[in-house]
Amino acid sequence: MPKELQSPMDSANPAQDVQGIWGMTIDQDLCTGCQACVAACSMENNVPFVGEVDAGYGRSMQWIRIERFWQGSYPNIKATPYQPVMCQNCHNAPCEPVCPVFASVHSASEDLNLQVYNRCVGTRYCANNCPYQARVFNWRDYMDPRQRPELVTLSNHWNPDVTVRRRGIMEKCTFCIQRIRHAEDTAASENRDIRDGEVVPACAQACPASAITFGRINDPATKVSQAADTSRGSHLLEELGTIPHVTYLAGGA
Amino acid sequence: MDKKISRRDFLKVAGVGAATTAVLTGCGPASRLVTREPYTKMPEYTYNGLSTYYATTCRECSAGCGLIVRTMQGRALKTEGNQNNPVNLGKTCARGQTTLEGLYNPDRVTDPIRRDSRGSTIVKKMDWDSAIQVVADALSKNRPDEIAFLMGLAPDHLFDLVTDLTKAAGAAAPVRFGALGMFEARATLVQAANDMFGQAGLPFFDIGNADLVFSFGANFLETWLSPVAQTREYSQLRRSNPNRRGYFVQFESRMSQTGAKADEWIPAKPGSEALVVLAIGRLVAEANNITLPTAFSNADVNAAAAAADVSVDTLKHLASLFASAGHPLAIPGGAALGGSNGLQVADAVLALNALVGNVGKAGGVFLSPVAPLTDAYHRPANLKEMSDFVDLLKSGKIKVLFVHGVNPVFELPKSLGLEDAMSKVLQIISFSSFPDETALQSDYVFPDHHGLESWGYQKVATGSSSSVLSGAQPVIVPFFNTKATADVLLAAVQKAGGALASALKFKDELEYIQSKLSSLISEPDGFFSAPEINTFTAFFQQYGGWWKTTDNRVALSGSDALNKTFNASAAQFNGDGDFFLLPFVAPVIAEAGANKPHLQETADPTTTVMWNTWVEINPDTARQLGVQNDDVVSITSSAGTVEASVYLYPAIRPDTIAMPFGQGHTAYGQFAQGRGANPADLLSNSTNEAGDLAFASMKVSVKKIGKKRQLSRLEGVLGIYGKFGQQ
Repeated sequence: MPKELQSPMDSANPAQDVQGIWGMTIDQDLCTGCQACVAACSMENNVPFVGEVDAGYGRSMQWIRIERFWQGSYPNIKATPYQPVMCQNCHNAPCEPVCPVFASVHSASEDLNLQVYNRCVGTRYCANNCPYQARVFNWRDYMDPRQRPELVTLSNHWNPDVTVRRRGIMEKCTFCIQRIRHAEDTAASENRDIRDGEVVPACAQACPASAITFGRINDPATKVSQAADTSRGSHLLEELGTIPHVTYLAGGA
Repeated sequence: MDKKISRRDFLKVAGVGAATTAVLTGCGPASRLVTREPYTKMPEYTYNGLSTYYATTCRECSAGCGLIVRTMQGRALKTEGNQNNPVNLGKTCARGQTTLEGLYNPDRVTDPIRRDSRGSTIVKKMDWDSAIQVVADALSKNRPDEIAFLMGLAPDHLFDLVTDLTKAAGAAAPVRFGALGMFEARATLVQAANDMFGQAGLPFFDIGNADLVFSFGANFLETWLSPVAQTREYSQLRRSNPNRRGYFVQFESRMSQTGAKADEWIPAKPGSEALVVLAIGRLVAEANNITLPTAFSNADVNAAAAAADVSVDTLKHLASLFASAGHPLAIPGGAALGGSNGLQVADAVLALNALVGNVGKAGGVFLSPVAPLTDAYHRPANLKEMSDFVDLLKSGKIKVLFVHGVNPVFELPKSLGLEDAMSKVLQIISFSSFPDETALQSDYVFPDHHGLESWGYQKVATGSSSSVLSGAQPVIVPFFNTKATADVLLAAVQKAGGALASALKFKDELEYIQSKLSSLISEPDGFFSAPEINTFTAFFQQYGGWWKTTDNRVALSGSDALNKTFNASAAQFNGDGDFFLLPFVAPVIAEAGANKPHLQETADPTTTVMWNTWVEINPDTARQLGVQNDDVVSITSSAGTVEASVYLYPAIRPDTIAMPFGQGHTAYGQFAQGRGANPADLLSNSTNEAGDLAFASMKVSVKKIGKKRQLSRLEGVLGIYGKFGQQ
């Protein structure tokens, strides 16, 4: 198997191959559903808006959605704790084996799911196979100022660190890989390891309730490992065996 | 080959043309301090490919959260919270994140313009010199009592400048208004503090240190007062102590985004809040074996339970929770203050806090710190005062009206008749950055810079335990041909001449701000100090403001509150419709976010609706009315009629319908205009006892009109294909 398709957990010598596995915890007891993470993610990652009609057809492109469900009926009704869902960066990711062009690949060194935009040919098999519905597809050229004149001025705030995707490309949460790479480069140039808390994805940085924690989950000393290691932690659709890297901390009493 | 432009040369040219790095206002204020430099002469701290970060203040609402804006090659790329600023400690809300879509909004007013006739979109561009002349003439050719200023809740430095200007001119002080202040009922909160604690001010609710919170309608996790700070406090309430998780009960007739986080949601009938609070107070006193204080002696538990449509057992259970908690806290807000007896509710809630002895204690009620540069909290105008202001305009005594930072034509209830009154004013000059409804009704629009292009400061009203002045500075060169309103006014004053000119002798906005800041140099307890004003200003820019390191909340005594007499009754309602109307500020887009496409496309937290207005109806009620999801209904009150698509909302009382405020613009750019409906059109101008708008006092009728308009929503909907875009 080519090395980029291997998982560090399959490695014969994991200590050598694994640089560190990135993961996240989301405390549903704290999440207030305020959508700051959704907006922050969109602004950081050049996520387009699609307009009312396409949004109605389920083509909105945000990389995070905040789910809420109703339990019971009036007057004994409860909203389930808000649940932000993004790409779970699974260890056994169902999106990867189905990609015919290796656009959806696995990082062996960091156990991340990568999406290679310039390989993607838009078969959408990966989105079909993702149990978390975490992938979004560019149904149109949403980011093309020639087709959308309103973007001529709006495009000034686009993040130069993040590729602008065009029609026919699948995309998803990357754990703000541009921020991870930046921190890794900085650490390497200073000849040290990445410090805990040095990489903060846009969602975690904005979250007013500090519900999101990010870091290396293979290091038991990090905040994220400690937060995940409580009786409140669980994974979405655990029974599928995808081994997601996002741990949800139960909300409610 | 020599003729070819190399890549390097191309980049150089592009760099000069498109944007210059890092540096601030070009021809605007303080150009003596900062100059526009070519790409080839960058400041030494700027490297190609590396970002420059500026500390400033968010102006999406008036809370005054600090921002750190990432810029690169003269463009603002991303806003993050300023970790130093005590209000938000590095966090932002969704509106703060999308403030860049305001900055680079395609619909901004790009130049000073003159309108041929009000309401017309045909405009003529002007140059700034003639614009300043127009303002100078308006100030010098009218008598002082013929001049009026209407200002928004932010920014404070401009409000101070206009206050000084009107004082020097002998004109009436500027009137200050904002829709968020209206829906927060700030006058009611201030009045209640005065009634109960003997000192006016904005109450501070120490949610973080409480262990039980009863919120009577307060949407404190959404838009209320200082949502980012309050969300942090909420976090503390839940998880700061590993041994106990703070408990939270919300009383409201429609489950809000805040209510969805509550452990218990009590759908008390609208208008019954005062009775419920007093009944709980009586039960708490009984449970704690305290002699029944005067305040609660008239409370009737059975009558309250009946009026609220809540069982006596539930009230007893809630009272026992409150009585046994270590740090119980009660918060009044939202629709509970927007009833005809809103002040009574606020008073009763503060008395309930006094009953459990938490006034002035950790986890209890304080008065918010008084911000630097001011003697007390000065609240914005309540609806009563706005109504007087509209009457003044109507009388024709005002010849020129200046409007900045507020969009009253959209925000005020139509029944107030503002548009009609504005037609009696000879000249209206708007300083709006956006083509909003009020700017459309103006003769001139002299666009101010966007908040991220501006100097300024904001006096933080609440949200931090210390006294905070958030500082703003430009993070990019102004993107369009706009000019700081402060500079326009200062220049106009000099042109007008006379006593006014000598009273306001400032070179520009920054010099004015420095004149205010200089009083802080000698102020104790600041987190930085500086020997003189230029160093002070440099630190002020670097850190994004100035604040104290001490706890400046005012601890009061609650003992008098218990001796007040309450003769509470249920609130009065206007109209004879079948349903209570509950307008609420849309949590994500709020009052002015509708022109930002990413906010429009962000799902509402509880309904997941995007890009439009919905009306929430209980599914049982909808069945009786014969309406389904997405059916358009007409909603009629004594003040007006609006149409909106139905959203079957399971967490609302069957006798109540709810509508978000924030859409229904008739102007305000391509993303906002012609989208949804404005519930303010349904409101009468009736007020509560403190003069705040009784926005939750309308009864409305709902009628199916046989149309369907599909709402775009994030949650799954079956069978949507082919339905969008059709009526």
